[in-house]
Amino acid sequence: MPDERFRRLLEAAPDAILQVDEEGRIILMNRVTEEMFGYTREELMGQPVELLIPEELRKVHVGHRAHYRTQPSTRAMGTGSALQGLRKDGSRFPVEISLSPGSSQEGFHATAIVRDTTERKLADDRFRAAQEQYTKKLGETNRELELRSREIERADRLKSEFLASMSHELRTPLHTIIGFSELLAEELEGPLNEKQKRFIQHIHKDSMHLLDLINDILDLSKVEAGRLELRPEPFHLAAMVTESIASVRGLAESKSIALETYLDVPMAIEADRLRVKQVLVNLLSNAVKFTPEGGRVCVEAAVREPYVAISVVDNGVGIPPEEHASIFDKFYQVGATTKGVREGTGLGLAITKRLVEQHGGSIHVESERNQGSRFTFTIPLLKQEPKAKV
Amino acid sequence: MKRVLVADDKATGRELVRTLLENSGYEVFEASNGLEAVKQARDLSPDLIILDIHMPGLDGFGVIEQLRREEHFAATPIIALTASAMMGDRERAMAAGFTGYITKPIGLNALRAEVTRLIR
Repeated sequence: MPDERFRRLLEAAPDAILQVDEEGRIILMNRVTEEMFGYTREELMGQPVELLIPEELRKVHVGHRAHYRTQPSTRAMGTGSALQGLRKDGSRFPVEISLSPGSSQEGFHATAIVRDTTERKLADDRFRAAQEQYTKKLGETNRELELRSREIERADRLKSEFLASMSHELRTPLHTIIGFSELLAEELEGPLNEKQKRFIQHIHKDSMHLLDLINDILDLSKVEAGRLELRPEPFHLAAMVTESIASVRGLAESKSIALETYLDVPMAIEADRLRVKQVLVNLLSNAVKFTPEGGRVCVEAAVREPYVAISVVDNGVGIPPEEHASIFDKFYQVGATTKGVREGTGLGLAITKRLVEQHGGSIHVESERNQGSRFTFTIPLLKQEPKAKV
Repeated sequence: MKRVLVADDKATGRELVRTLLENSGYEVFEASNGLEAVKQARDLSPDLIILDIHMPGLDGFGVIEQLRREEHFAATPIIALTASAMMGDRERAMAAGFTGYITKPIGLNALRAEVTRLIR
C-alpha cells in the first residue's frame, strides 16, 4: 500500500492516474479517474483497463500491452494517433497518455497518466476552423483580384487592337493627302505661284506631323500590349551612336549646336539595335530641340556593370524638378519650357521609357531649369558566354 | 512602254499611283479588287504589279497566291502596298512571294525607285 504522502500526491494530480498489473487489471487509481470516466472506484478496481477504451480498439490494446511488457519504457502512448477514452455512459473523449513501467513484489505493473484533451482539442479545432475560413477568404479575394486583373488586361488588349486598326485606317487617307501634295509640289501638273507652293508645303508638313503622331501611338500601343517583339543582336555601341548623331545633325547645325560624343572603351551590347537607336535618336532630338542656338549636346557612354549607361546631356532650357516624374507620362509636355517648340507628339519619352524597360534597363533624368538636362538610360551589357566545350 | 497593274480598292489611291507612274512613262492599268486584279493580270501580262494588301474579298495575299501558282507569273515583280505598319508584316509579305514592300503613306521617290529597281 502506498503511504499517505504518496496518496496525497496521487489525489492532487490534475490528470487521471492508473496502475495496471501484468494482466492489465486496474490495481490503483485516483479520484480524477473516477470523474473522467464516470465510474466509481469500486466499479473499476480489478477490472481490465480495456474497459476504458473504445470497443473496436480493445483487442489491439491487449496486443500492445503484451508488447509493452516485453519492451517496457517510459514514453507517450500512441504518439501521432488520436487516442480516445470511453466513459461509462458510452461517450468518448480525446486523451493523451504517458506510460511508465514498474515492478514490485506483486510483479510487473504499468502506470498510465491520462489527460483529457477535450478543451485543447476544441481550441485547436476552433483555431483550425478560423484558419481555414481565413484561407478560404484569402483564396476568394485572390480569385476576385485575378478576375479583375484579367478584365483589365483584356480591356487593355482591346484598346491596343483598336489603336492598331485605327492607325491603319488613319494612314490610308493620309497616304493620298501626302502623295497628292507631293505630286502638286512637283509641278508636273502645272506651275504653282508662291502662295500655292507655300500652302502645299503647309499641307505636307502638317500631314507628316499627323503621321508622326499616328506612328507614335501605334508604337506605344504595341509596347503596351506587349506585342513589340525585340530582336536582340550583339552589336557595338560606337557605330550606332554615330548613326544616331547623324540623324539630328541637320537640325543641330541649323541652330549652331555642337554635337559631341564621349564613349568609354568599345562596348558590345546585346539588344534590339533599331529600338536602342530609336531611344537614342529620340533623346538626341529632344536635346537639340530644347537647346538654344549655340548650345551643346553630347552623348556619353560608360560601363556600369552589368549595364552600359548611355547619357544624352545638353545645356538647354532644362526641366523643373517638379516635372521630372511626369515627363515619361503619355502626352505630357513640359509646360513652360516648350515655348515655341510645342510640336512633338508628347509620346516620345513614354515610348522611350517602355523600350528601355523592355530591354531590362531603366531611364532617369537629372535637370535644373536653365542648366540643361541629362537623360541616362541603361541597357544590359553583352554577357560573356563561356565557349561551349567540344 | 512597260505596263504596270495597280490594284487598290480606293480610287484615290489608284489615281495617285497612276499619276506618279504615268509621269515616269509607264502604262498603267487599274483594278479595284482582288478578283479583278487576277483577271487583269491574266489579260494584260503586266511587267509589274502593285497590290494593296487590304482589299475586300480577295486580298493582296489571296491575289499573289493565285498568280504565283501560274508559271506565267512566277517571275513577275509584285509590290505590296499597305497602310499596316505592324512588325512582321513585311516578313509575311516576302514569304508570300512579294518582291517589294512599301508602306502607305508612300514617298513618291521611294515608290519610283522601287518600281525602277524591279522593272528593269
